[in-house]
Amino acid sequence: MDDKIKKRENFPKGVKGLKFLTNFCIAITGIILAGSLPILIRGWVEGEWRGRLYVESIRETLEGLWPIGEIAFLNYRAGQEMPLFPNIFAYIVYSLEILFLALLVAIITSLTFTIVTMLLSDNIRERVKMILYFLESVPDLLIIMLAQLSVIFFFKETGVLISKIAVAGEDRIYWLPVLCLAVLPTIQLYRLSMLTFQEEERQMYVELAHALGFSKVYIVLIHMFRNAIISVFFQSKRTMWFMLSNLFVLELMFNLPGIMLFLRGNMHPLGFLVTIFSFFLPMFILYSFGEWFFVSRRQNKAVA
Amino acid sequence: MWRQPYFIFGFFILSFFLAGSFVYEWVWGDVPAQTHYLMEDGRAVEAAPISPNWQHPLGTDQYGYDLLGKLMLGAKYTILAALAIAAVRMAIAVPIGYLFGTYFEKQRKWMSSFADSMHYIPLTLFAAYVLTPLLWMPENGFSSTLSERISVQVIIMALLTVPIVSVLVANEAALLRDKEYILAAKTLGAGRFRIIRKHLYPQMREKIAVLYGQQVMETFIILAHLGLLDLFLGGTKVSYDPMFGDPPMSISYEWAGLFGSSFRYLQSAPWLPLAPVVCIGLAIFSVSLMMEGYLRSKNPKIKKIRRQPQEDPVVEWNREQLREKMVRLKNENQSK
Repeated sequence: MDDKIKKRENFPKGVKGLKFLTNFCIAITGIILAGSLPILIRGWVEGEWRGRLYVESIRETLEGLWPIGEIAFLNYRAGQEMPLFPNIFAYIVYSLEILFLALLVAIITSLTFTIVTMLLSDNIRERVKMILYFLESVPDLLIIMLAQLSVIFFFKETGVLISKIAVAGEDRIYWLPVLCLAVLPTIQLYRLSMLTFQEEERQMYVELAHALGFSKVYIVLIHMFRNAIISVFFQSKRTMWFMLSNLFVLELMFNLPGIMLFLRGNMHPLGFLVTIFSFFLPMFILYSFGEWFFVSRRQNKAVA
Repeated sequence: MWRQPYFIFGFFILSFFLAGSFVYEWVWGDVPAQTHYLMEDGRAVEAAPISPNWQHPLGTDQYGYDLLGKLMLGAKYTILAALAIAAVRMAIAVPIGYLFGTYFEKQRKWMSSFADSMHYIPLTLFAAYVLTPLLWMPENGFSSTLSERISVQVIIMALLTVPIVSVLVANEAALLRDKEYILAAKTLGAGRFRIIRKHLYPQMREKIAVLYGQQVMETFIILAHLGLLDLFLGGTKVSYDPMFGDPPMSISYEWAGLFGSSFRYLQSAPWLPLAPVVCIGLAIFSVSLMMEGYLRSKNPKIKKIRRQPQEDPVVEWNREQLREKMVRLKNENQSK
């Protein structure tokens, strides 16, 4: 990751904007090409090459996009066709809310834990890392089911319903799904940031700061944190990818009215395109901005 | 490798499921025991699904089939499929990665931004979307055989993340390629293929092994997710009877199918969906144990990264000097 950043420092500003645009175009092309893939696969199963149908389907999908106000979709709940806009925004917003809340919870808890663990001794740290490594192998489905079961159990024992475990109708539930979605990313990010912080600890400047008599808390919080957070950010993209799959399962198991459930009712190229796009856009912008932010900060420092 | 307790333990769990699966089929046949209801003193006390008891350690499903038997029978499908998917993926992605890492340096950037865009498509959703035409039984039955479908599914699932894995390999290879010893080999006239074979591959063997383990773990998760979507390994049997349609069923007893078809019983019979998921979790756990054991056998230092403060008279003397100076500085400052 480091050499990538250094290489980018040499680019003038315009090139970076161009790079953003090319990346964006490649991503969109990839999604459109993937959207019609099932046609090729159905052809493969039946033993023929359906290249022409594939191109045809891509063309149809792109044409279907044009009068954007007229796209109609089957609504999974209402059981009838409905116009796409503005109905879809309710789905998107709900999914993104859960996704980003969970990400935020995961980042905050994992960083807090990391900082606390960094203040402990080496022995304990290694043990914590080991436990985290094995905790990562817990499947997300198990976490969701255990959460639901424990809510039911708690309800049976005390008569208090902590949270609804499924959505019926139009209401929204937040904290239980967010918690379920946040558990695994927290563990992953915790281990990742532990590794990064430990890598950072071997750097010379930490030793210097120690020698100058700064306390351990101060060094970890002020000096190492700033440098380690950049690596953690770049690695969090993979965590995000993994969270998207989890979000999908979560929406199914909690019956949440989100964008993934929307796709389930609309398994065709246009539906796929719209769904992928609805969370691709905010995430792509967020990550591009983050990359730009961190890289430019580093650049400024290098100049000064 | 075989001396590492982690590796042996993980290997033991995984081979227990695999060997158990084949032995079970050999001894008891490929249909698990069926009990419709439990009798006690001539009265029926419990009908299927029967909760766990001594006769059925994991209870039975809604049709009275023994769940432990089903799990054992299904183990081989799930585990072998996951291992095969990851193996096919690595077999395709590693050579591509090396090619991009050594021959096509310019194109590597394009490739990595393409792979980067894949990070925005949730894998489960993509897999489900692409596999539906293959696995969902059409109205007039499947036109392909079970083994055909399984192999096609394995190849498709392997291909899904080939770009991402090969970019990982390519970036790693590109990092190594800039090392001095590679430059030395080049100067001595080594071709690119020789460099890959003799220098890059041996250097990256451990990383590739770890990558393989990660792919296996990921595949288990994706298979479980697909099970939730009623897309089972080797095809989903769908009943198109408008009146008495059975729920979608798995053709083999593989774990994802066991979980997916029993998910709605979570409240009334929690052992039904929990047992398969716990098994999947155990399989993933054993793979991560094996990975850890493998890594430890390769570099035994991993446990002791602790740095010993070196006793060096010069350093000690310097430190002493510095301390004295700082004390002097502090005193001067205070006296001002």
